[in-house]
Amino acid sequence: MTIDLQSVRKEFVARDGARTPAVEDVSLTLGEGEFVVIVGPSGCGKTTVLNMIAGLERPTAGAILADGRPVTGPGVDRGVMFQDYALFPWRTVAENVAFPLRFGPAGAGLSGAAIGDRVDATLTLVGLAAARDKYPHQLSGGMRQRVALARLLSYEPKVLLMDEPLAALDAQTRTILQDELLRIWGQDGPAASRRTVLFITHAIDEAVFLADRVVVMSSHPGRVREIVPVDLPRPRNDATRADPDFQRIAQHIWSLIKNEAYRAATS
Amino acid sequence: MNARLLRMATLPVALIALWEALGRALGGPRTPLPSKVAGEAALLIMSGDLPAALAQSLGRVFSGFAIAAAIAIPLGIAMGRLRAVERNLDPVIESFRPVAAIAMLPLAILWLGAGSGAAVMLVAYAAFFPILIHAVAGAKGVDANLARAAATMGVSGATLARSVIMPAAMPQIAVGLRIGLAVAWTAIVAAELAVGAKAGGGASGGVGQMMFAYYAYSIELNRIIVCMIAVGLVSLALDRLMRFALARAMPWIET
Repeated sequence: MTIDLQSVRKEFVARDGARTPAVEDVSLTLGEGEFVVIVGPSGCGKTTVLNMIAGLERPTAGAILADGRPVTGPGVDRGVMFQDYALFPWRTVAENVAFPLRFGPAGAGLSGAAIGDRVDATLTLVGLAAARDKYPHQLSGGMRQRVALARLLSYEPKVLLMDEPLAALDAQTRTILQDELLRIWGQDGPAASRRTVLFITHAIDEAVFLADRVVVMSSHPGRVREIVPVDLPRPRNDATRADPDFQRIAQHIWSLIKNEAYRAATS
Repeated sequence: MNARLLRMATLPVALIALWEALGRALGGPRTPLPSKVAGEAALLIMSGDLPAALAQSLGRVFSGFAIAAAIAIPLGIAMGRLRAVERNLDPVIESFRPVAAIAMLPLAILWLGAGSGAAVMLVAYAAFFPILIHAVAGAKGVDANLARAAATMGVSGATLARSVIMPAAMPQIAVGLRIGLAVAWTAIVAAELAVGAKAGGGASGGVGQMMFAYYAYSIELNRIIVCMIAVGLVSLALDRLMRFALARAMPWIET
């Protein structure tokens, strides 16, 4: 699925009528099977862009098209992974992963056994088969993140929208999950089997490691500063992180957001 | 452990001993005494009268409580989630809420007769409000991200209410259920006392009516006290049972 943002603008209106522009004139296309990462300082509207593509928020002006059709609300073709994972605390790992199939339209026509098979396969894919009967509160942050990923993958949305999914994790877990994310996305397989991904982070090295293109945003209001192509070869692995090109691209992105980041950190 | 038990028992035992001593020294032939109360308790339990009366009262409490929960939980969730429903219903509900359950008794008896029907209705009325109010608060307090997450999976409307809102609000609803059950048990005793008066000690039964008969006809204070103690113990047992059942129903809550 391709996603097309055309001159999208978003204003938030406060109770007293004051208008705050959050996103200004964002135009961006996510190609079929493309992995696009947005980086930018806090307040640059990256989450707002993701929420608008998800259909959770409406743009004030401009258009958002999914495969050419306007986005009017949430849909199972565009799956979201939330920053705080939004797991259902009263459901076990397996029940969380089964949720979109049991209660949503994606599972229509699937028998209970078929749903069970899909859940098992997805849990195995993300390495959670042993934790299937645990509740979210019994899991570490990294495992919760995997549950959220499994729940997202279980109903096979065509576009994966991921809002800082690795932000809450320690550095080692992050590195491991970056590798796994690319494996699950299908970087070892043919490009045609990959899903379209929009991934938000504020970690530049993470963005460069994952992305086909990095969208650098600036804040107040959020605008696209530059779109940086990452032509590092796939599959990517630890060697990629040591690649001089990787360093060069990361340095370039840092130079783009450095000033704003300093300002945000000292204000 | 034994030392603690001893400390806990000291005051009650002393009070009972004082009651017995004062009653014997100053009281008349009808003055209730702990020794007599114990004897009457044994008689009422052995004869099966007290267990039967309690069983009948409990049956009414469970019926009324079930009716209250079946209406209050879905209604409370609808009120908590849909602004229009709350705006329309809130004034009606808030104007009934201060009307004590017992004030509904004349209507209950006129409509349903001086039997189980009226008692069940009063119990349902009394238990309805705490359950409703907690269900409304619980539904309002659901983490907005959970509903948003469900929306991205195509889950909305009644399915959302059933699969997300209700379980997410469950810890709060559980508080309402506990309060509702306690209130229901209080209401049944009052209702049976009053229905018993109307029925003239007839066949309405239950522990409240049993108390009414001992008060109005045979004047047996010892037996009334047995009933009071039984009512208190059952109330305690009900709450413990409820907490156990709710903990079993919500295994994801760490206790």
